[in-house]
Amino acid sequence: MDLPPGRSEGVIGSEAPAGEIQMQSSWERFEALYRSSRDDVYAYVATLLHDRGAAEDVTALAFERAYRRRMTFDRRRGQERAWLFGIARNAALDELRRRRRVARLVAEPTDEREGGVEDGAEVALRRTAVRAALAGLTPREREIVALKFHAGLTNAELARVLGVSETGAGTLLYRTMQKLREACDAKV
Amino acid sequence: MRRFDDDPLAPGAASALRALDAALDGEAVDPEFAALAELALILRQERPAPSAAFAATLDARVERRFAAPAGAPQAPDRNRRLRWLAPGAAVLAGVAAAIVIATGGSGPGAVRALAPAASGGVSSTASAAARTAAPSPGALGPVSPTTAKSSASGASSAAAAGTPGPAPAPVPSGASSAAAAGTPGPAPAPVSTGANRQIVQSAQLALMAEPKRIDDVAQQVFEVIGTEKGIVNSSTVTATGDANGYASFQLSVPSANLQATMSALSELPGSRVLSRTDATTDITGEVGGAGIRLAEARALRTALLKQLAAATTSEQITSLQAQLHDADASVASDLATLNGLRNQVAYSRITLTIQAGALAVVVPGSGSSFTLGRAAHDAGRVLVIVAGVALIALAVLIPVGLVTALAASVGLAIRRRRREHALDLI
Repeated sequence: MDLPPGRSEGVIGSEAPAGEIQMQSSWERFEALYRSSRDDVYAYVATLLHDRGAAEDVTALAFERAYRRRMTFDRRRGQERAWLFGIARNAALDELRRRRRVARLVAEPTDEREGGVEDGAEVALRRTAVRAALAGLTPREREIVALKFHAGLTNAELARVLGVSETGAGTLLYRTMQKLREACDAKV
Repeated sequence: MRRFDDDPLAPGAASALRALDAALDGEAVDPEFAALAELALILRQERPAPSAAFAATLDARVERRFAAPAGAPQAPDRNRRLRWLAPGAAVLAGVAAAIVIATGGSGPGAVRALAPAASGGVSSTASAAARTAAPSPGALGPVSPTTAKSSASGASSAAAAGTPGPAPAPVPSGASSAAAAGTPGPAPAPVSTGANRQIVQSAQLALMAEPKRIDDVAQQVFEVIGTEKGIVNSSTVTATGDANGYASFQLSVPSANLQATMSALSELPGSRVLSRTDATTDITGEVGGAGIRLAEARALRTALLKQLAAATTSEQITSLQAQLHDADASVASDLATLNGLRNQVAYSRITLTIQAGALAVVVPGSGSSFTLGRAAHDAGRVLVIVAGVALIALAVLIPVGLVTALAASVGLAIRRRRREHALDLI
């Protein structure tokens, strides 16, 4: 199953015409959701758990739960992508509760591109400053960063996953970015 | 209290968020937000990517639709187990309701309709006269008052008398007495006839009939007695058309037909049984004594006749004739006594009273046969029973459901709170 690299292309169910959506079977819709969200879910869970092995397990569990519950999804209550990330979030939080382990966001995961030859010294310095600034955020703020920039959720999807209004999600994101930016400026 | 997400976006926040989205989409960004856009891009570059091996493994699982590979045990799904929780709880609640209904059946508030309805159009209220054992044969008085209040209007009486035939007397193996009152329970078994026992049987029956049907029911009594070859010793019928209507009968029937007669009288159309009492008395000793006295009297008479034949003087003859006269009287008296006792054994006495009153359930002329009216009545009762059971079940299920829903809601809230708390552990 080949997936497009990088950020997801979006949700087929939410962007296709209504008639086309109704023609799709639940399996086809799930498969499309999986294709568009696999890497995003993994990125979000890995950021939250800060453990690649556990992130793989939780990602697989989240998709399995979504598959089992695909018939219960109510399109009127939101987009499939937000629904999927809600399941992934619950699975990740359950894993955190189970492990009772403190995960620090900026220490892991390591990126293969880290220290690449294409990165200049200034960019590397900037990246290091960002990581240090991320470490100063609260867990909830780091989760917002993970959902927005690692999972690629829209503000509306972010709001639905976190259980707040879209305005509230925008406010949280804006404040987090302001805090992060100030921390980066202080580091640099 | 205002929630933070009720607050409008801060000035410039909307523009900054739009710049973020534009930077992530690769579009041009206002120079005012260039640093923010650069930060967004760096954050996205920090995005962890799954390994190729994990991606391939998960792809394969999705292709199999998460089915376990052949030979691998299926992992238990907690949610799958929980899925049976609600139906299981419902079944448990249903069983609890059934137990409540079953155990509450004997209480004062029980669903009395669960008891089978009396057959033959006879209301179950007739069972007010419960079965009771008579304390002694002497206590076999009629249940209802025996004094007949005859009124001037419409009163009629009939009496018939006859000589009892030589019907064989039923002789039970047991002795003295047994009495029972009840309606319309199974008739007592006929008194068994032992070899030498002489048993006198009697019965009292109290009926209720509609005031306008006293005459009809009384006439049916005569017909039943005629059919069973019995005798109406006396009768009083007072038909007033109102609640004062009354009838009483003193009846004699061959003891062999007693039970059939009682059954027929208990099922007279237009009436229902108020009470019924059956009694027996063992008079074997009295019959035997009377027989012995009769034999002795006859032996004395025979001896006197022999002496008379041998008498030679007029004085002897006169004396013996006087003794013979007394002996004849004694024989006649003893014979009458013995015949009277045998007659009591051969014929059973029935005391029947009929009083006017409203019948709870009367299906004219129906007896125990099936009719549409009775079917509709039974159907109505079934519906009432079903509604009662459903009401009781709801009374149990609704509180159980509310408690279950409340517990589930609290459980979900606690679970959600714990999940959110897990974020603070990072």
